[in-house]
Amino acid sequence: MAEAAYTVASDSETSREEKSSCTFPETTIGIDIGTSQCRVAIWNGSQVEILKNSRNQKMMSSYVTFKDGTPSGELSNQLSADHDMLSGAAIFNMKRLIGRVDTDPVVHSSKSLPFLVQTLDIGVRPFIAALVGNFWRSTTPEEVLAIFLVELREMAEIQLKRPIKNVVLTLPVSFSRFQLTRIERACAMAGLHILKLMPEPTAVALLYTLYAKQSGFQSTDRNVLIFNMGAGYCDVAVSVTAEEAPRGISEIIALTGSAIGGEDLLQNMMRHLLPNAENLLTSHGVDEIKSKGLLRVATQNAIHSLSSQNSVQIDVDLGNGMKICKVVDREEFEEVNRAVFDECASLIIQCLHDAKVKPEDLNDVVLVGGCSYIPKIKNLVMNVCKKEELYEGMNPLEAAVSGAALQGYVASGVHDPFESVDVLSIQVTPLSVGIRADGNNFVPIIPRNTTIPAQREMLFTTSHDNQAEALVIVYEGDGEKLEENHLLGYFKIEGLPPAPKGVPQVRVMMDIDASNVLRVLAAVLMPGSHVPINPVLDVRMPTVDDGHGWCAEALHRAYGATQDLVSVKRI
Amino acid sequence: MSVVAAVSISQFSVPKGFQVQHQFTTSKPILRQGCSGIRCCNKESGERANTIGKNYYELLGVAVDSNPQIIKQAYRNLQKKYHPDIAGQEGHEYTLKLNEAYKVLIRENLRKEYDASIGQRRVSTVRGNSSTFDGSSWNGVLRPQALFVDENACIGCRQCVHQASATYMFDESLGCARVKLQYGDDDLKIEVSVDSCPVNCIHWVEREELPVLEFLIQPRPTEGHGIFGGGWERPANVFMAAKSFNKQLKEEAENGNHHRNTSESVEEETPAQAKARAEASMKIKMEAFSKFWHWQK
Repeated sequence: MAEAAYTVASDSETSREEKSSCTFPETTIGIDIGTSQCRVAIWNGSQVEILKNSRNQKMMSSYVTFKDGTPSGELSNQLSADHDMLSGAAIFNMKRLIGRVDTDPVVHSSKSLPFLVQTLDIGVRPFIAALVGNFWRSTTPEEVLAIFLVELREMAEIQLKRPIKNVVLTLPVSFSRFQLTRIERACAMAGLHILKLMPEPTAVALLYTLYAKQSGFQSTDRNVLIFNMGAGYCDVAVSVTAEEAPRGISEIIALTGSAIGGEDLLQNMMRHLLPNAENLLTSHGVDEIKSKGLLRVATQNAIHSLSSQNSVQIDVDLGNGMKICKVVDREEFEEVNRAVFDECASLIIQCLHDAKVKPEDLNDVVLVGGCSYIPKIKNLVMNVCKKEELYEGMNPLEAAVSGAALQGYVASGVHDPFESVDVLSIQVTPLSVGIRADGNNFVPIIPRNTTIPAQREMLFTTSHDNQAEALVIVYEGDGEKLEENHLLGYFKIEGLPPAPKGVPQVRVMMDIDASNVLRVLAAVLMPGSHVPINPVLDVRMPTVDDGHGWCAEALHRAYGATQDLVSVKRI
Repeated sequence: MSVVAAVSISQFSVPKGFQVQHQFTTSKPILRQGCSGIRCCNKESGERANTIGKNYYELLGVAVDSNPQIIKQAYRNLQKKYHPDIAGQEGHEYTLKLNEAYKVLIRENLRKEYDASIGQRRVSTVRGNSSTFDGSSWNGVLRPQALFVDENACIGCRQCVHQASATYMFDESLGCARVKLQYGDDDLKIEVSVDSCPVNCIHWVEREELPVLEFLIQPRPTEGHGIFGGGWERPANVFMAAKSFNKQLKEEAENGNHHRNTSESVEEETPAQAKARAEASMKIKMEAFSKFWHWQK
């Protein structure tokens, strides 16, 4: 196979196309790119091995520093993260920024980061820049991620003494398909070939299955809830783990997720410590950046301390006469972040509801991710799940990457003779996909939590007499309103024969394969015929590139309701 | 993978003989024969035909009366073999069907609907009321002959169940054996089972006769009088009863009396069964729809 080159033009077609068609005898690594931390692991045939950087650390901070025009990741940079952050030269939290437009609240909250995040609030990608000397050097989250991935790749190659190309990445549940394409592009830029993108909790579920298999549980089915909360995202999964020796299967039943995490706790805390911080947090002067950085580091340390102690003394000089000298206790921290914790609880409730599993039926509750050390998170998870204790068998920070490494081993087609890792993860779609129809409404075709590969079809028809064209606008999400969902793309069906409204049959089929690639097929038939009038349209989604916030509006302006579709109820 | 770009109109006309139009001619009941027709036409698409022509039970390789646990196990075992993570892209189509089948069979309400649509009823898991048995199902393709146990003659020796356990079941509440799955075992086992019956109550019958026979052999409640329940009875000679029953049906058809009273007793044999299938066509439609996409490839 040819080396996957870094291509700009056709990023939606890179790497994933040929991925499953051939098996790779090569090594596959698992990468967990966290919002704040990152880990790389490999399955060495008998166990997971977490790779270490040159400083012998398993954990690497996810950030890239821009200096003298040559960006470099954390791995080769000897300076501490804290110091870089103060100068405005470090870009981090790219996982919160990637694939989001400047109307997104998550992007807005990122304006308080100590580098430049500029928004125009019109639905285009935000402007991001690092301060290098006296220059704002512009960059993109994809670029930052790619630089970082290149370093991770080199690190792994040095340690494993062989070239690495294949990766399994873990990602948040709430990522839209558009965001996934951004991740794919970053990987393509870094010369990495994505074997699979896994929602983080499903990787944890797979690891749990392996452990369960190894320890030889007697019962056949175990319901397990996985709660994974890191710096940027909070995800919940309900999985059924079955051990029918010698097999281990993790069957995901339901997934939910949201872009809330440690970063929100941190920002709430910063605003709490410095009541009129808004001015400081949204300005990008050199001094302000330093102050922001100092506040950030101090707050972060305080939150970490509060995980093990009841109160903490914060003593920091932010410069410009701003000083914080305060004792904060755990209750205060919990009160300030009450909304975040409430949302965590509601995610669990939602996931259990979707899975149709009662808390009493859960055999195990697994709590992982950086936020799992926060006592309040532990308590709320145990409360909602009605459990006295949590599953103790895995390292909360390494679970996701270990699962990814395991999946990499399974998906790379290597079959070990002893079948020690005979495990399989059966995944579901985290978000519904559908099209716009029946006026300005979202009509899901493949609902969320459908086991993949999945294929569903729906019948639509025209909304006007003699309608010659129909627009198929594809959305993803679970918002009730159309606008709350992600626009994935659109295409036009041409050449509908003249007929009264409601007569032509427009069949729209969606197909999601095991690699999570979405295809949308559309065919037009006239009643009584079974041969499509025109060749069937077969479109890989997403097709939108940038400015997707605009497209829907532009389409509406240009066509109004003239090319609308109406769904047809089946008897 | 992007097939459609290369597909021309002339290619569309190839599968014209295809039976998908059943769904459009709504007045016609959708019969299983239609399905087998599809299977034939699909020959060219090789292995895919095997999965598409099969019903969900056949796809999962389970008996129609399997409990959810068995279905679950079968599903997982097949996933282990065919999931694209393991089998590569070739497993896509199969896993797709597998997921669809599993989704339906594991949910009680969807399964009932589906059973009705394919004309197969399964033994209710609630035992004790034997009248819930609605006929045997088929393993594999339909064959001209079918097995039938004359339960009046059966002495309950269980010999046949021992010989061919996938084909026969034993009704504890009635104390007799019956066929649950036609050709559930291999031919040799079935032959032995027929021969081993000490009272020769296992018969080879024409496939067309089977539904009527299976319907008539079930004990029906007799009308009760006053405070006494009526009890249960069935025809002493089921074959004779079937003959007259068929005759009766024929006469009714000739009289053009299609809309018989929907009294329970007549609801369940052949013509009505076909009607039931048509009514519960949603599932079939779905099937046909996915076939539609498959032959586009």
